[in-house]
Amino acid sequence: MSEPAVLSAQGKDDGGTKGWRVSAGLPIAFVAVVILLAMLPWYADFAAQRLLVEVFTLFAIAFAWNMLAGYGGMVAIGQHVFVGIGSYSLFAISNTFHLNPWLALPVATVCTATAALIFAGPMFRLAGAYFAVGTWVLAEIARIAAVNIDWLGAGAGMPLEMIGEFDRWARNAYVYWAALGVGVGAFAVGAIVLRSRLGLALMSVRDAEAAALASGVPATRAKLSLWVIAAAVTGTAGAVSYMSTLQVTPDASFSLNWTASAIFIVVLGGIGTIEGPVIGTAVYFALRETFADFGAWYFIGLGSLAVVTMIVAPGGAWSVLARYANLDPFGIRRRTPGDPSASHQSPSPKQERQ
Amino acid sequence: MLRTEGLGARYGLFQALFDVSIHVGPSEVVALIGSNGAGKSTLFRSIVGSVRVDPHSVRLNDVPIGGDSERRQLNRGVVMVPEGRRLFPSLSVLENLQLAARNGRQGQWTIARLFDELAVLRPLSKRPATSLSGGQQQLVAVGRALVANPSYLLCDEVSLGLSPLAVTDVYALLRKARVGGTSIVLVEQNVNRALSESDRFYCLQKGRVVLEGNSGTADRTQVAQAYFGV
Amino acid sequence: MAIACETLIDGLLLGALYALFGLGLSISLGVMRMINIAHGDFIVVGAYLTSLTMQFLGLQALTSLIVVVPAMFVLGWLLQRLLLNRVIGGGMFAPLLVTFGLSVIIQNVLQETFTADTRSLQAGDIAQRGFELGSISIGLLPLLSATVAVLLFALTHLLVARTHFGRQSRAVADDPATARLIGVDDKNFFAVVTGFVFAAIAIASVLYAMRTPFSPSAGPERLLYSFEAVVLGGLGSLWGTLVGGLVIGVAQLFGARISSGLGPFFGHLVFLLLLLARPNGFFTRAAR
Repeated sequence: MSEPAVLSAQGKDDGGTKGWRVSAGLPIAFVAVVILLAMLPWYADFAAQRLLVEVFTLFAIAFAWNMLAGYGGMVAIGQHVFVGIGSYSLFAISNTFHLNPWLALPVATVCTATAALIFAGPMFRLAGAYFAVGTWVLAEIARIAAVNIDWLGAGAGMPLEMIGEFDRWARNAYVYWAALGVGVGAFAVGAIVLRSRLGLALMSVRDAEAAALASGVPATRAKLSLWVIAAAVTGTAGAVSYMSTLQVTPDASFSLNWTASAIFIVVLGGIGTIEGPVIGTAVYFALRETFADFGAWYFIGLGSLAVVTMIVAPGGAWSVLARYANLDPFGIRRRTPGDPSASHQSPSPKQERQ
Repeated sequence: MLRTEGLGARYGLFQALFDVSIHVGPSEVVALIGSNGAGKSTLFRSIVGSVRVDPHSVRLNDVPIGGDSERRQLNRGVVMVPEGRRLFPSLSVLENLQLAARNGRQGQWTIARLFDELAVLRPLSKRPATSLSGGQQQLVAVGRALVANPSYLLCDEVSLGLSPLAVTDVYALLRKARVGGTSIVLVEQNVNRALSESDRFYCLQKGRVVLEGNSGTADRTQVAQAYFGV
Repeated sequence: MAIACETLIDGLLLGALYALFGLGLSISLGVMRMINIAHGDFIVVGAYLTSLTMQFLGLQALTSLIVVVPAMFVLGWLLQRLLLNRVIGGGMFAPLLVTFGLSVIIQNVLQETFTADTRSLQAGDIAQRGFELGSISIGLLPLLSATVAVLLFALTHLLVARTHFGRQSRAVADDPATARLIGVDDKNFFAVVTGFVFAAIAIASVLYAMRTPFSPSAGPERLLYSFEAVVLGGLGSLWGTLVGGLVIGVAQLFGARISSGLGPFFGHLVFLLLLLARPNGFFTRAAR
């Protein structure tokens, strides 16, 4: 059916995989936007900052899900386990050691990464649907455990005690910057990974695992690296998100809604593309801010949008845009030299009529 | 008469067939010769409905049938024996046949008749289909197509991986089918066998027909040139 | 000892219901390789449909099956024909998101229509009755549910093993492309399969609603138990789903004995541990 946009072999002969198209104007524009956003606390109110914290953190989580599923081929319905672990780590460490929350944040990232490493042992024995459900069950176990551990506040959760040390402006600004950092960082990490050997390894495994292994690609190590990176991003984003709400509870931080929103964003925007989550997040929040007052009808609309998108444009919004404008702004698409009609490929079954 | 006219087929960006025009008459045996990747399987898939093509590029008795579903083509009497046999492992030999017989057309080829012709299969009928030997599986695969009572039987590499004895058995079955009025289109890597078993032949190279003619009077040198593209 | 026996029996009876939840999922995963995220929500739909039938047609809970089962069959048939057929075979993400969207739509439509309150079916006195086996008491409704579940599994087994429909299902599950070649008409066939799946869901939902209060958001948890039953038993194995369900049921009730409220937790834990021991489930499909 529709291969992700990344896979199309373009006919331009530009000397192989190093011929990535990089438009010079784009990085400048990108940096300008980031600087503009960074100055936000001086010209926007607290409500706007809080909204943007939500935007950036959810974007990071969705981006991480996209990396795992779209590039690593690992559909983790239970990815939200890392949101919970990241946020609980932050709160627990900050409260216990009376540590500045922003100093505790990197520690929370490390905790989440460590948890991911531990979980990989059991989880990597599973594949496909088994893996998907296994991660979901894992998240449920974590949630119920958190509900029952008194030291973590049980069902009511914990407040972030140390945050009281900061005045309101500082608190909002610092959390906002942390969120901006997480959002930009997630994107940067993703772009770097995809253009690296790890990215190449992942895509080869995603396309044809047996062939990749036969070519000596360290598939398991690549997947593990991706898993840990995605977990770290998710955990950090979750921690920052709860820094903003000031209270972490098990039902909220281990809620399936995190992954559900991520899935919605990614698939709506275009899975397996780097631009997809950007569009998906924009659409998601545009819809939310406009229609959330409609309560259940908002969700019905969202669900309907998901259904319609998958029927009309399975590659998501980005695939539609890219098709009409032949865009590749971040230089991720790889181009192979030579004429496609001369290549002796076996037709892939997906391309045939269904 | 089964005919393709200017048939083009593509998989995504990759064009596999260019302007292919062949025809097969009633009770004829036609061979498709060509190396790997020449487009022989794609041609079959285009005719039988697995690959979408322009409706007018495939005609059965002057009726455009291109692009229709496999089921419709089956009901019109156009049936393929796929490369690699592809029997269903979860079904027994008998069940594989029953499935095709029930979905296909009625005619002289019933399961009972098939077991009469292929007595060796009868004691194996309840066994899982893929537990049989390669030769036996190929007989079942051809039989599975036959019990749908095709007018045009497309056989994709039925001798691949088989012992010479097994190949003989398979072709004996095909000859019986032909006698019963079925036309056969053979894809065969073995050029000699392809020419000896067929009335006419086409050579495909990189998705195009580069040579055609009468099998009995074929010039082997010409065929070799067409095959290898030399 | 008697308590352990009773817990075991209760667990098996509950597990049979979970297996019934999983039956439909097992079939659609096996035949159409489709993960239906809205599966649990359709169980809840069946429960509400039953409630409406009882309310407006004055039927008893079990009698309303006469209406609910055909209605759900038609619903499933239409859903597959009109919607899901368009996304099958397009990779695993399209069906995932479509059914996920459906899940959201269903939960919210139910909420708008029926409010978020839980409701239960008037099960009649069958819910109260039971009998004693020695010092162990067994409820009549759980026993009935379990019997129905096993019967339905047996019926499905016969359907798959002996009928043309069953042969087509097995063929499609083995090799969809070749199945098309010998005349399996995907569109209609899949619609009938989904209709059958929904009929099974209907039966499961009535039995479920008779013993547990339900609400619009009860779907995901049903889905999770269904998944656990199917995955533990092994994808592609019908009786595996029954075994998987029984294991989950027993684990949950023993867990609840140890600490009430932690039943599902123990179920999940046991699921994970067993899955690690057998990463492909207990019974996998015969090797190709």
